[in-house]
Formats: sequence, structure tokens, C-alpha cells
Amino acid sequence: MKLELMPVFWLALTLGTYIFSRWIYRRTGRYLLSPLILVPVLLLAVAVPMNTAYAEYSADTHWLMLVLGPVTVAFAVPIWQQRRLLARYWSALLLGMVAGSVASIATSFGLAKALALDSSVTMSLVPRSITTPFAMPVSSDLGGVPELTAVFVMFTGVFGAMLGGVLLKWLPLRTPLARGALFGVGAHGAGVSRAHEVGGEEGSVAGLVMVLTGLLNLFAAPLLAALL
Amino acid sequence: MKRFTRLLIELVVLLAIYLFGCQLAMWLAWPIPGGVVGLGLLLMAFASGLVKPAALQLGAGVLMAEMLLFFIPALMSLLDYGGLLRNEGWRILLVIGLSTLAVMLVTAFTVELVCRWRLRHEA
Repeated sequence: MKLELMPVFWLALTLGTYIFSRWIYRRTGRYLLSPLILVPVLLLAVAVPMNTAYAEYSADTHWLMLVLGPVTVAFAVPIWQQRRLLARYWSALLLGMVAGSVASIATSFGLAKALALDSSVTMSLVPRSITTPFAMPVSSDLGGVPELTAVFVMFTGVFGAMLGGVLLKWLPLRTPLARGALFGVGAHGAGVSRAHEVGGEEGSVAGLVMVLTGLLNLFAAPLLAALL
Repeated sequence: MKRFTRLLIELVVLLAIYLFGCQLAMWLAWPIPGGVVGLGLLLMAFASGLVKPAALQLGAGVLMAEMLLFFIPALMSLLDYGGLLRNEGWRILLVIGLSTLAVMLVTAFTVELVCRWRLRHEA
């Protein structure tokens, strides 16, 4: 294919579809058109017919992932800005994050074993509930495949943001803290944007809890690797 | 244009903190990713008043808002895992669906119960 001779073809296409999909999502507000779903769908629609291998695609786009490092550093800003919220409710939030993480790890691992998924897929599923910059290093600590984890994290976000909206209608949750934590622990970034639509306080809680849960899991990863 | 220059400077500063975090983790042989070391350093800088969060808010906001762009390349690993998804896809989705439901229920009820308990005991 002639197109593939262009060295930055995949990078240009990635940036192009990302910008396009962000624009169209802002105009329509349709969840199915959000970049989280539309960008991978569009890219796969081009790459699959061309028989592109992942190595070929990632050759010119790999460096984008290096930016996840500075993103992790940037997480210091929301933690600092929400420090009063954290100081006031640290016990409820910490218990929620620990209980949620244990539930996530135990059910992912247990269900994957019960359904006889192979070990690298199972270990890639374990950190699927936390945000990608943390989930990928946890996955490699556990012997999973970080890229596969990123895929599972995306599915979790897409499904979790929808499920969380339904659950809020049914569950008797009176505190914005519980509503925010549900999204932050259960559906990371996609959940945080959904939580902001529910309310400002829910959004702040979700954002804070998402980052702290990621950190918690990262620090627990060596222990987890020994246990699982 | 001014905003753009400012954004660029903030991004460079965040990148520098990240790279310094990586170096520090390597020197001290810490098994922690450089980004997390950088996060810790930046929190300490905020706490000591050395850096104001407002000074980095634009850059940090842009990075977090566009985070998806930075992990799209990882998502494209689907190109190599097409066979896996055809064979095990429904089982994987079942795990993700049930586990997400469990996480949300457990987290929300834990936080709600602790909050209600505290309200009753503080009043």
C-alpha cells in the first residue's frame, strides 16, 4: 500500500480522528460518538482492511504513550485542590477505595479463573478498574500485558459510565460522596466525566478518588503479585 | 498566543518534573514509576508553598482532559488480539461487566454507610 510508505501516516490519522471525534462529540453530546469509542472504531476501520500489525501502527505513535508520565505528575493538582475534602472525609473515602479495589481485584481474578481465561489475560484484567496511567504499570508488575489492560480499562470505562448512571437511579445513595466514589472507583476517567454531569461535588469526589485508587493499587501491586 | 506560550511552558515544567522523578527513582532504586515520584514531589512543592497550583493548572488541565489521546496507541493492540477477542471476547466482557457492577455496589455502599454512621455519631 502506498499510504503506508508515509512515515507519519498513523500518527496523522490518530490525531485527525481524535480531533474530529472530540469536535463531533461536543456538538452532538451523543455518548456513542465520544472519542473513547469513536476513535478506536475509526482507526480499526482503516487498519483492519489494510492488514496492519500493532507493531506497524505503534512505530510512529508509540511516543504518545510516554506523555502518560507527565499526566501522572499532573494528577497532583486535583489531589491538592481537593485536600480539604480529603481531610474531612478521608475515612469514608479510604474505606470505599480499599473495599472497591478488593472487590475489583477479587471478582476480576475469580471470574476470569472460573471462566478459564488464560493467565496473561487474567492478570491483564485485574487492574482494569483503575485509570490507564496506573493500570498499565500494575499490569506489567502482575505479569499481564499492559496494552491488553489498556483495552480492558477502556471497556470498563465505556460500560461503567453507563451502568453508573442506571445504578444512581436505583440505589438509595443520599450523599454526593457515595455517588462520586461509585464513578471514580468503578469507571475511572469515563466515570469522572459522567459524575461531573451528575453534580459538581460528585465530579470532584470522583476525580480525587480515581487518582487515589490508582495510587493505592500501584503501591499494593507488589503484594498483589505475591498473592495471586 | 500568550495562552499558548504559557501552556507550552507549563507542559515543559510537568515533563521536567516527570523526567526528574524517573532519574530519582533510578538513583534510589525505587520500584515506583517516575510519574508517581514526580506526583509526590509536586505535592511536596505545593505543601511547602514553593509552587502554587494555579501556576500549573492550565498545563495539568490540558494533559488530563486529553489523556485519552495518549493511550489510544495502547488500544490499537486490538489489532494483534483479534483472535483472542473472537475466542474469549464474551467471557472477557462478562468478567468486566459483573466485576464493574460489584465494584460500584461495594464502593458506593461502603462510603454511604461510613458517612451515615459518622453523621449519627457526630451529631
